[in-house]
Amino acid sequence: MEILIYGTINSVALALYALGFAMVYGVSRLPNFAHGALYVLSGFITWSFLNSLGLNYLISILLAMLATGLIGALIYQFVLIRVRGMEISEIMASYAIGLAILEGLRWGGFKGMTYTLPAFISGSTEIAGIPVDYQRLLVVGIGIAVVGLLWLFTRYTRIGLALRGMAQDERAAMMLGIDSDLMAVTAMGFGSMLAALAAVLLLPLGNIVVESGYNILILAIAVCIVGGLGSWMGAVLAAFLIGFAQILTVVYLGSHFQMVVALAAIILTLIIKPSGLFGRQKELEERV
Amino acid sequence: MKTRQWKILLILLTLVCFLLPSQQVLAEEPIVLGCPLSTAFLYGWAAERGFKLAVDEINAKGGVNVGGSKRLLKVEVIDTRDLEPGVPVSEALLAVEKLILNKKADFIMGGPVRSEAALATMSLLNKYKKVSIVTTGVLTPNYHAMVAKEYDKYKYCFRIHGEAKNLVGEMFANFSDLKEKYQFNNLFIIAQDVSHARGAAKVMKAVAEKKGWNVTGVEIFPTGATDFSMALLKAKKTNTEIINIWMDMPESAILLKQWYEMKIPALPFGSTLAAAEQPGFWEATDGKGEYTLCNVVNAGNAPSNATPWTMEFYEAYTKKWGVEPEGLGTSSSYMAVYVLRDAIERAGSLDPDKVISELEKTDLMGVYGRLRFDPKSHQVIPANDPKEGVVGSILQWQDGKRVVVYPKSIATGAIQLPPWMGK
Repeated sequence: MEILIYGTINSVALALYALGFAMVYGVSRLPNFAHGALYVLSGFITWSFLNSLGLNYLISILLAMLATGLIGALIYQFVLIRVRGMEISEIMASYAIGLAILEGLRWGGFKGMTYTLPAFISGSTEIAGIPVDYQRLLVVGIGIAVVGLLWLFTRYTRIGLALRGMAQDERAAMMLGIDSDLMAVTAMGFGSMLAALAAVLLLPLGNIVVESGYNILILAIAVCIVGGLGSWMGAVLAAFLIGFAQILTVVYLGSHFQMVVALAAIILTLIIKPSGLFGRQKELEERV
Repeated sequence: MKTRQWKILLILLTLVCFLLPSQQVLAEEPIVLGCPLSTAFLYGWAAERGFKLAVDEINAKGGVNVGGSKRLLKVEVIDTRDLEPGVPVSEALLAVEKLILNKKADFIMGGPVRSEAALATMSLLNKYKKVSIVTTGVLTPNYHAMVAKEYDKYKYCFRIHGEAKNLVGEMFANFSDLKEKYQFNNLFIIAQDVSHARGAAKVMKAVAEKKGWNVTGVEIFPTGATDFSMALLKAKKTNTEIINIWMDMPESAILLKQWYEMKIPALPFGSTLAAAEQPGFWEATDGKGEYTLCNVVNAGNAPSNATPWTMEFYEAYTKKWGVEPEGLGTSSSYMAVYVLRDAIERAGSLDPDKVISELEKTDLMGVYGRLRFDPKSHQVIPANDPKEGVVGSILQWQDGKRVVVYPKSIATGAIQLPPWMGK
């Protein structure tokens, strides 16, 4: 039972880490290597609103999400747009931005282990005799809600449909009058907001540290590669595969191998099915 | 005297006035302490602050007397980043080499902080004949074992703080007390996947089994792991009474919060549990860190009256940095500067061989007890009584305060158990 409970929690956390990355790549084919840095940055922005400006927690969260979304959009508009389509340059530019954000935070004095966000609900309960804290249950609840809302958003709103159109076929979308760059900026903004949402949900479980930015990026990439780059639903499914695999590894092989699972998943996927579970990239070459 | 002669005399006098101090400055080049530290982490920045406090104090009194001339001390720090996931040893080595070659460090102090990097640096210190005093991190017993094994090669390396075996001994002194008082018998070990912690976990398991403890599990987590639920549930299922934690990564805060929220009926007894060492831990966890125990390795890193100098240092540090000494590496870095100063003054020179010889003769009542080095291994000599040697310090978070509970000679309180343990 504990495998089911904590496997689900771990999987939803991974899905939250990866959704923003998947959205940006899905729409603009841009691998946003600043994703982990934006995650950490949003945590520190929330912390600053809460502790330095003394704002209400909920307002701090909303403002931090908006600020992170705006920062993401600006990063695209002023830097990444210039290298769009040049894959290596996109990776280098976005990674450099991420690095600058993380090192900037460190340089600005955000170091140490005492930066934390309060849990929304303190305390724990038991499910079938297994203790689970409320914050983790909330993560699962909100995580599922986010996936559901994202599904509705991409099917029943004009922007969502435009984003989907872009993700499916950029040229066809442009022929229908969809502004490619505008949609890419929008996707980067939404993707960054999703990173911020993941941060405010998951950081209260521990603390905000600069170094975790690199870790989050690796996990997000692993989930997206396994799920298929560009596929949001693939990312969710892959999050569950990796999430449960990690928990099973801890139980049956040893906690020592926990981090290897994500990296092994990347390698295996690239060997067996480079396009991932639901990815379209390289699918044609694979068939040929 | 003619006006022209007066003018020449005036110019000469002015020149003399300008030249005199510059010659003096040349004669008084500062002694450079090169500090390779992982500055983004507690064990790095706390050490840097300890060094700077001692250097300021010594410089305020005129500096170090080197064979009759007073020379000031200067601290040069380079970030080694070796506490980060992946343990970038090569970066730490580059930092040490840069300190020696570019910054012209006379001595290497502090780190590298991670044992793996410090071990790799030993050959470099031999290559450049630089005396080094390790003051923070570096808990592996291999460090001083290598000095003892190949003295001529590694004689430049000293360590002024406790090492993993000392920490294990201190842990078991407490475990035995808890066993006697509450009939505890089940021990669960959680360690980070780094050299000193892996080694310590192995030693802990072996010693525990030898002492009749039932080791209910050993879990090694990679640096950066963010979920500890399975290990905690295993500890609960096996009726564990003590969870021994060897973890300095920031994610250990997740482990402790999870332990509290899940109300695991076992005492979290950490060693080098960096997250719980800092005074800000209580606020950062909203008090969920209560009952957590951690070993801050040396007295002076938490408030106690180990020696008359302990609280004097504690207050001076708090006054200068606006925060109490925060954990491992603080008092030891501070004392290392004084120990080095004394050795240089006795040697009357910066010659490495002479300084090494004098460091080996060190006998100083410091912040955390009587400081002496084993002349063969260059490891500081530990004791339970500060009059005999350097003492450790184990603290427990009780009602928002860091209370020293071990060693008994300096303890300011006793270990308390969380109410959900029902003891």
